[in-house]
Amino acid sequence: MRRLLWIGLSVFVVLCLSVVYADMTLTNASGESITFTDEELGTIITSGEKPFEGVTITITVNQGGPKGGISGPLYEWRDVWEKLTGAKLNIVEIPYAEHYPKVMTDLLTGTGQYDGFMIGSDWMGELVAGEYIVPINDYMKDPRFPKWDPDSLPPSIRNLYTWGDTWYGPLNDSDGQVLYYRKDILMNPDYQAKFKEKYGYEYSVPPKTWNELYDISEFFNGWDWNNDGEPDSGIVMHLKVGAQGMYHYASLSAPFCILPGEKVDKYHNVYWFDPEDMTPLINSEGHVKALEFQLKLAKTGPDAQVAWSLGEAWDYFLRGKAVFTFSWGDVGSLVQDEARSKIKGKMGASILPGSLEVYDRSQGKFVTFETPNVWGNTTGGSWHGVISALSKNPEAVYHLLAFHATNKISLWNVQRGWTGVDPGAKFHFLPPYGTASLDDYVANGFNPDDAQEYLKAYYDNFFAPNIAPYLRIPGGNEYWVALDRHLSEAYTGQASAKEALDRVARDWEDITNRYGRAEQLKVYQESIGYTK
Amino acid sequence: MASPERGMAMSLKNRSVKYSFILPAMFWVLAFTIFPLFYSFGLSFFRVRLGKPATFVGLNNFARLLQDYKLGNSLRVTLLYVAVTVSIQVILGILIALLFHQEMKGKSIFRALLILPIFCTPVAVGYLGLTVFYEEGGPINSILMRLFDLKIPWLSHPFWAWIGVLLLDIWQWTPFCFLVVLAGLQSLPEEIYDAAYIDSSSEWEIFRKITFPMIQPVVIIVLLLRLIESFKIFDVVYSLTGGGPGTATEVYSLYTYRTGLKFFDFGYASALGYLLLAMVMVIVNLFFRRVRQVYE
Repeated sequence: MRRLLWIGLSVFVVLCLSVVYADMTLTNASGESITFTDEELGTIITSGEKPFEGVTITITVNQGGPKGGISGPLYEWRDVWEKLTGAKLNIVEIPYAEHYPKVMTDLLTGTGQYDGFMIGSDWMGELVAGEYIVPINDYMKDPRFPKWDPDSLPPSIRNLYTWGDTWYGPLNDSDGQVLYYRKDILMNPDYQAKFKEKYGYEYSVPPKTWNELYDISEFFNGWDWNNDGEPDSGIVMHLKVGAQGMYHYASLSAPFCILPGEKVDKYHNVYWFDPEDMTPLINSEGHVKALEFQLKLAKTGPDAQVAWSLGEAWDYFLRGKAVFTFSWGDVGSLVQDEARSKIKGKMGASILPGSLEVYDRSQGKFVTFETPNVWGNTTGGSWHGVISALSKNPEAVYHLLAFHATNKISLWNVQRGWTGVDPGAKFHFLPPYGTASLDDYVANGFNPDDAQEYLKAYYDNFFAPNIAPYLRIPGGNEYWVALDRHLSEAYTGQASAKEALDRVARDWEDITNRYGRAEQLKVYQESIGYTK
Repeated sequence: MASPERGMAMSLKNRSVKYSFILPAMFWVLAFTIFPLFYSFGLSFFRVRLGKPATFVGLNNFARLLQDYKLGNSLRVTLLYVAVTVSIQVILGILIALLFHQEMKGKSIFRALLILPIFCTPVAVGYLGLTVFYEEGGPINSILMRLFDLKIPWLSHPFWAWIGVLLLDIWQWTPFCFLVVLAGLQSLPEEIYDAAYIDSSSEWEIFRKITFPMIQPVVIIVLLLRLIESFKIFDVVYSLTGGGPGTATEVYSLYTYRTGLKFFDFGYASALGYLLLAMVMVIVNLFFRRVRQVYE
């Protein structure tokens, strides 16, 4: 009898322990399941207490719908998160061009209609300087919340989620532009031979400099190299005004105008403004040369690209009509979607090319490098969630954002192109650079070669020795818009490269003066790590 | 016979009934027209940024108007746009109205079809334009390619983008001009035409000397309404071109909107608003003067 009692008691204890330490399998709206450990989910979920019962939080996000970039994951995991926490999640989708003004209006007027925002990182200067968003360092240490891994982020991405040592948002998206190319076409021996005959040298795959890329793009532009019966293009870009076209310029121009150096000073590692007086550098000789180059390069692509947004340019590349594009991580994963893409398994990817000539402002002339001046970039939004300082439920908001930042959900997002969440953390990359498994990517529809090319390109980009500085000062959006509209004037022949960039500089001076030069300078210096 | 007290009570009651009808309208005008008008006038003398104290800057915002090269561009684009669209809409409207003023089969069906564009939301018209003018395989370019091997850069070339905006606006608002002018034509007395046909058999002469002078007040009103509306063009440009390529289609309202509601420079946006108000008032006054001359 006593023995039976002992056995019963042991079984009871084992059952209790298994309940306490049981893994939890959660199923999203697509019907896919992920199993989490208790530690990953945090005690708010595992305790089953539902402390957010009756709480409704409202989050803004770029308009995209339940299967759209950045907005999609919120819908995907909404039901399960609501069930686990008792809270209600209200997703407010706002068109890209309206998102920033809507958020700022809410914050500046003190309305507090929204509890959190999925922001572009270029808004951070404004949000942090105005104390409109809540630091999350304390939440990150709290075992009640889902656990995510801040140490997995490269410094380049980490900088976008933090201000100094203070974190403002858990990991979500990691934006940067890399070069995508048609590996099958560039490796074609006939094409290689014809190129050598015409240009007198063998091109590298991938091209190492922008000038080499230009030659290749020019060579392939205007004839039917994919045998579809129509002439094809060398490169495709999305250059429409108001549709993120200026980001192409920002990524391309970096190696022409940023002089690398040990630290950030007046002449080294600066791109936007002179860190001593906020004079715009955008119309300096390096920038002018970069834009002149981009205008030349654009001629090796379809004419209509000056009116194309992301989707149109990406589709052109996915349909196999261009040898090159350079854009965000979305392209690499969208290539895997055979409903949209004809080039799965034919894609190559690499960090963006460099330039052998860089403008040195200290000498007032271009200097020549023996090896290309290559810069990684974090161009784009790196869209991630932050908590409004006006929110009455910051803990619920943080819980949601941290839940999405857990390694497993983050990896799930990265492996599906439609989520708009691009790789950046170490656990997204393959060994020896990271801990993700190639089989996992293949199981989620990736071609193994494409996956390796894509992830290596992003690793090289985000972990590059030189990372182009990111603009994070109050009025950041306004500076970008001024750049965008005047670049578009140059793309469409309404202004020369120099005229367009002079106009940008003039607008930037106006903006800086309106915001206050001294205040802007202080934030700018902080944001790029400039010290005297 | 009612006593004087009772009469006074009735009069007071009637007056309060009258006021109760007028009050909502008064409230509406005060709250949504007069107050914003004065408030924005006040704002135009300040450097205003939400969340920060406003600074009095006197006439600085108005002085900025004179130095703003972007304003010059948006004014040029807008004035050109207004001149071209309004002229074409009114002329086309008169011609179509003259056509519909005659006996023809299926007139009511065609008339109903013709006025459908008026009911479309301008933003939707802009997005529709994105599809119609799509350069690679959009319907217009597909037809042009088949017939003439011609591809027009509708949205990527500054001139053609401008033409695209014009075409959409003309498509949407010509029916309005047609409808009002047609109503004017149908109100003209038949007897005058009977007499006129005795003196002349030229349709052009009759139109020039009788029809047009008689519908002139209606045409002026149509012109006036379209002028005022066209100065405020925003939706189609916003959704079709976003003001681009470059700044080729950045009309005045779009520039003002960006200044105020995207960059939160409310003081300067108010000054921009007042400049537009002044321009439209001058034009409206000139037209009213002409209307008065016509009537007198």
